Amino acid sequence: MWKKLRNPVLLFSLALVSAASWLHAADSAPHAVQVTVRSILAGSKSDEFDPKLKNLEQQLKPLKHRSYRALKDETQTIPWQGSKAFDIPGGRSLTIATQEFQNDRIGLKIRLTQGDKPLIDTTVKIANKGNIILGGPAHEGGSLILSISASTQ
Amino acid sequence: MSQCETIQESIGRWLDGELQTADSEAVRRHVEGCPDCAAARQRLEKIHATLSGLLTAQASELEFAPFWREVRRRIDEKRSWHEQLIEWAQSLVTSPRLAWAVPAAIMLVLGFFSLAKWPVGGQVSNYASVESIDTHGRNVALLRDDKTKTTIIWLYQDPEGENENVEEATKSGPAF
Amino acid sequence: MASKRQDLVELSDWQLVEKCQAGDADAFQVLVSRYHQKVFMVILGLMRNRDDALEVAQETFFRAYRKIKSFQGGSSFYTWLYRIAVNNAIDAQRKQKRNPLDFHETMDGLFEARNEVARDPFADVHDRELRESMMKAINELTPEHKAVIVLRTIEGMSYKDIGEVLGCSEGTVMSRLHYARKKLQDKLSAFL
Repeated sequence: MWKKLRNPVLLFSLALVSAASWLHAADSAPHAVQVTVRSILAGSKSDEFDPKLKNLEQQLKPLKHRSYRALKDETQTIPWQGSKAFDIPGGRSLTIATQEFQNDRIGLKIRLTQGDKPLIDTTVKIANKGNIILGGPAHEGGSLILSISASTQ
Repeated sequence: MSQCETIQESIGRWLDGELQTADSEAVRRHVEGCPDCAAARQRLEKIHATLSGLLTAQASELEFAPFWREVRRRIDEKRSWHEQLIEWAQSLVTSPRLAWAVPAAIMLVLGFFSLAKWPVGGQVSNYASVESIDTHGRNVALLRDDKTKTTIIWLYQDPEGENENVEEATKSGPAF
Repeated sequence: MASKRQDLVELSDWQLVEKCQAGDADAFQVLVSRYHQKVFMVILGLMRNRDDALEVAQETFFRAYRKIKSFQGGSSFYTWLYRIAVNNAIDAQRKQKRNPLDFHETMDGLFEARNEVARDPFADVHDRELRESMMKAINELTPEHKAVIVLRTIEGMSYKDIGEVLGCSEGTVMSRLHYARKKLQDKLSAFL
C-alpha cells in the first residue's frame, strides 16, 4: 500500500487536491477594493458608439439607446469597511462603501446624490472583477449611465 | 578483517556472477588455495542445491492441464460489480498510462468550478444581486441581461420635473 | 487448431503478449504452459504449503491475464510475471493465520500422502532432515529475504532482475541475499 502511495502520479494528485482545497478555502476579507466608475452619456440623437466603451458594448446593448459616449472614468481604492466618494457629471456624487466579501462576491453599499438630495440608495453584491450598471438620471439631453466595477486587492 | 573474512563476504556474489572480472579472478584464486574458503563455497553451494532440488522436485510434478483448467475457470468466472470496481480503481492508481488521467480529471473538475471567475472571450462574467434599493419615491426598473449576466438598475426621472429636459429624458429612457 | 498451437509455441514471449492483448486466449495458454512450473516453484519457496502455493500460482496467472493489456514491454515478461507472483505470495502469507507449528505436520503429511519417501531420490534420512530443516529455516526468513533467495536459487536471476521484480535496488538485493544465506548457514550448520 505504501509503495503504491509513492507512485509519483498519486502524490501529484494528492498535492493538487490539497492545493485546490487551500485555494478554495473560506474567503478571507480583502485588504481593499478597487472600484472604477465609468460615466457614460446615452442619447438618441445620433448613432455613435464611443470606441472607449468597446468592452461595455454588449452590456449597453439592452438599453437600446442610439448613441453612447464616455464622459469620465474614475478609479479609487476603498479600504475594507471604508467608503469613498466619486464625482459624477451633472453635479452628482456617488458614494460607495465596502461591506462584505463572500464566495468571491463583493458587497457594496451605493448612494447616488444630486447635490444634497439622494437619488438612490442600494446594496448590491457583485462578482469580483465584475460590474453593475446604474442609469437613468437625465444629463445633457440624454441619460446618464454609470458602470460600477470592483475587484479585491 | 582478515583476507579470508573479506573473501567469504564476496563468495556469494562471486558464485552469482556479480563480481567484476578482476575481483572474480582474485576470489577464484584464493578459494582454490584456501581450505576454509573452499569449505565456505561448498556450504553455499549445498544450500543452493538443496533448495533448488527441493522446489524443482515439487514443481516438476505439477500437471499443466488441471492447472490451466483452474486458471481458465477464474478467467471465465463473472466477478461481482464491487470486485470489478475495485480492480478498475486499482488499475487507475497503478497503471502508468491511465495514472495521469486522475490529476487530469481533478484539473478538469477544478477548472469547471472555477470557470465563473475567469473572463470568457474578453467579456467579464457578471452576476450581481440587488439586496436592497431605495429610490426615494422614484420609479425604478431592474433588468438582468441573460447574455452578459449584467444587472442594470434604471432610475426613472421624477415626473414633476426635478431635472432639466425631463421630456427628453423620459423619451430617452431605456426601451426595455 | 493443432497447427495454430504449434505456431504459437514458436513465438517469443513478447509476440505472445501482443496476441493476448489483441484477445487471443490461446496465446495466453502458451504463456501459462511456459511459466507455470517456474512460477509455482517461486511461490512454493515463499509459502509454507503446497496447496496454498498452487492457489496463489493460479491466481497469479489470472491476475496477469487481467493486467496483460497494461504490460508495455518495459521489462521482460517473466520479470513482470514474477513481480505479480511475489506480491501475491507475500500478500497471501500476511493473510495466513496458520500456526507455525503446523508446518512439520503439513510437510510430513505431504510427503507421506504423495509417497514421496518411496520415490524420493534423497532416500538418506540425513538429506531428508536437511530438506525439512531447510524449509523451516527458509520460512523463518522475512518475506523479502525469502523472495531474494528463492529468485536467485531457482531462476538464477541477476541482482538487477531481482531488483526489478521486488522493486528495490541491486544493493538491497545484494545485502538481503547475503543476510539470508548467512542465516541459513547458521541454522543448517549441523548439516553442512
